[in-house]
Amino acid sequence: MACVIFLINFSPYFQTFMTTTLLEKEKQTTHFSFTGRGSEYFAIEIVNIVLTIVTLGLYYPWAKAKSLQYLYRKTELAGTPFVFHGTGKEMFIGFIKGLGVFLVLYAILIYGFISEDPGTLLIAYGVFLLGLLAILPLALHGMMRYRTSRTSWRGIHLGYRGELSDMYSTYLIGFFLTILTLGIYGSWFVVKLRKQMIDNVRFGNVRLRYVGDGGDLFLIHVKGYFLSVFTLGIYLFWYTKNLLHFYVNNIVVLQEDGTYSRLQCQVSGWDVLKLTVGNILIVIFTLGLGIPLTTTRTMSLIMNNTVMSGQFDADALVQTEEAYDSATYESMSDMMDIGVI
Amino acid sequence: MIFEGKYYNGQSSKGMPAQITLLADGLRIDYCADEVTGSVHWELAGMHPSEFNDATTLLRYGKFPQQSISVVDKGFKEALLQQYRGAAFLKSGYNSVLSLGFSGIAIMALSLLGLLVAFLIWGVPALADRVAMHFPESYERALGEQLYTKMLQGYQVNDKKTAALNAYLSELNTDLDYPITAAVVTSDEVNAFAIPGGYVVVYEGILDKMEHHEELAALMGHELAHIRNRHSLRAMTRSLSYYMLASVLFGDVSGVAAVLVDNASTLRNLEYSRTLELEADREGLELLRRNELNEQGAILLMERLQSGSELEMLAFVSTHPNTGDRIKVLNELIAETKRPAKEKPELERYWEQLKGE
Repeated sequence: MACVIFLINFSPYFQTFMTTTLLEKEKQTTHFSFTGRGSEYFAIEIVNIVLTIVTLGLYYPWAKAKSLQYLYRKTELAGTPFVFHGTGKEMFIGFIKGLGVFLVLYAILIYGFISEDPGTLLIAYGVFLLGLLAILPLALHGMMRYRTSRTSWRGIHLGYRGELSDMYSTYLIGFFLTILTLGIYGSWFVVKLRKQMIDNVRFGNVRLRYVGDGGDLFLIHVKGYFLSVFTLGIYLFWYTKNLLHFYVNNIVVLQEDGTYSRLQCQVSGWDVLKLTVGNILIVIFTLGLGIPLTTTRTMSLIMNNTVMSGQFDADALVQTEEAYDSATYESMSDMMDIGVI
Repeated sequence: MIFEGKYYNGQSSKGMPAQITLLADGLRIDYCADEVTGSVHWELAGMHPSEFNDATTLLRYGKFPQQSISVVDKGFKEALLQQYRGAAFLKSGYNSVLSLGFSGIAIMALSLLGLLVAFLIWGVPALADRVAMHFPESYERALGEQLYTKMLQGYQVNDKKTAALNAYLSELNTDLDYPITAAVVTSDEVNAFAIPGGYVVVYEGILDKMEHHEELAALMGHELAHIRNRHSLRAMTRSLSYYMLASVLFGDVSGVAAVLVDNASTLRNLEYSRTLELEADREGLELLRRNELNEQGAILLMERLQSGSELEMLAFVSTHPNTGDRIKVLNELIAETKRPAKEKPELERYWEQLKGE
């Protein structure tokens, strides 16, 4: 525990540094908003489901692209929507490649089972796990590259400048430290990974920084766990709110002239409770058909309650990306459902 | 027609006030910001498909970095549709669905739901049955052998009675393609079951209750019918397909869903096995006829089961139909064909061996 407290003490450093400079200039607020409607998204998803069933699943990447195009188009920053440029074809190629990798891994595992030899099974299982471990950083890296390069706002593309080798070292070191510390390091690992991913995002000439601290996340988990147990789960909604705030509010947006702003999510525990209960009821009473409605509800709540606070000049962004393509990794992480952003 | 909007040149996020003119071969955009003024021409072929627009219409043009315009004017959208009817950038299958309105979408959703439910209720069992019926016999036998050895591990086999039962079965005209392997196990339970591939396990408890060998023949007829019609294999493929479907739909890790579906399929199997039990009863009777044995054996067997430990209350939810109902059905079947029965000394002899302590 000594080590934990030591690390927690580090976190105020960033905050004091940030607020002192922020006070010098007048704060302004730039709003995010979500204008999508449940009924529209529902219609889009119905078409997607029908086409996916009719094509025995082959349409899935195109369906995914359409959903993302809709959700991005209806998400606005400072009154201008985002655009998702990804296409079904790109995602299809990635989907096929990802599927290939998984088939090979599962084939090895199944071979181990069929051989009925404990030694072979153990080796096959080891290869399978190592394979998964080796793919995850690649999938995360690829997803960041793909998603950011395919997103634009006012014609300015996002981009990802992270190195794959850095992603591997961050991931593998964090993974083994988490195992060695029986999971305690997990909070620091998650923060390191977020730093690796978010710090390398470019939004034209704008940079992002993730300033969250592992100790804070660890405390949120400890508090969340015990209070959830004591309150018979009711605290879970506030626990979720705390995590959401930790992930969003620690993102700093830096502009080239040195000014910056911070994301601020104002969702409350009550909001999370209403959202979750509502979503569960929708899913149950529509036999799962209403899942698109839960997506738009969630997007509305988060986007309409998130602002950028500080100095953000929406007109000062300059294009810095070059054309990029490869969809391999996008669908792979999608298949494993890592859900990073 | 001229519309007011914002123009983004793809280099900067600065929205420049612009006038957009709809021409026959494309758009002309005259922009003006601070000291910069300019004009660009967008050809129709270079414009990107534009879906999901609302009050704001967003159009994009050209290769990376794309230029774009945004026009907050509902009239712009309509003017585009009128001027460039059928142009590639305006085509969208999704937009046409969105314009169906609430009732159209609701009808689509409900019919989809109906189709899914129909597929779950009729499609999956039918497919599973087809798979089970086309399952190669050698695999079925191998699978059965595994299950059989596994099941026998928990019991003590009575070798003498097992030999007598197998001899009895070989004397019987069973009309079954499979070689039959039967075992008698030491247990007071009144039970017997069939395993795919021609394996039968009979508990001593049920043999002790019987008084005539025709009852044994009826029991064997019933169990062998299960094997011939691959009843357990079909039941297995059914629950397996529901299980697989659930894991595809909810993702492999979702244990809750698997448990839910498992229970649901068990409930469905109740209905399923009731019809199958009646089918096996009917075919079991066939066996008695083929061997010219007293068909009353089947009735007697049922009565033994009824008088036994089986609780009537439980029978309602058990996998077997109500015994009274079964007796009724069997009586109707026997009444249809009244035939004299013959004595079978060979069978009697093995029966004596089976009953002898």
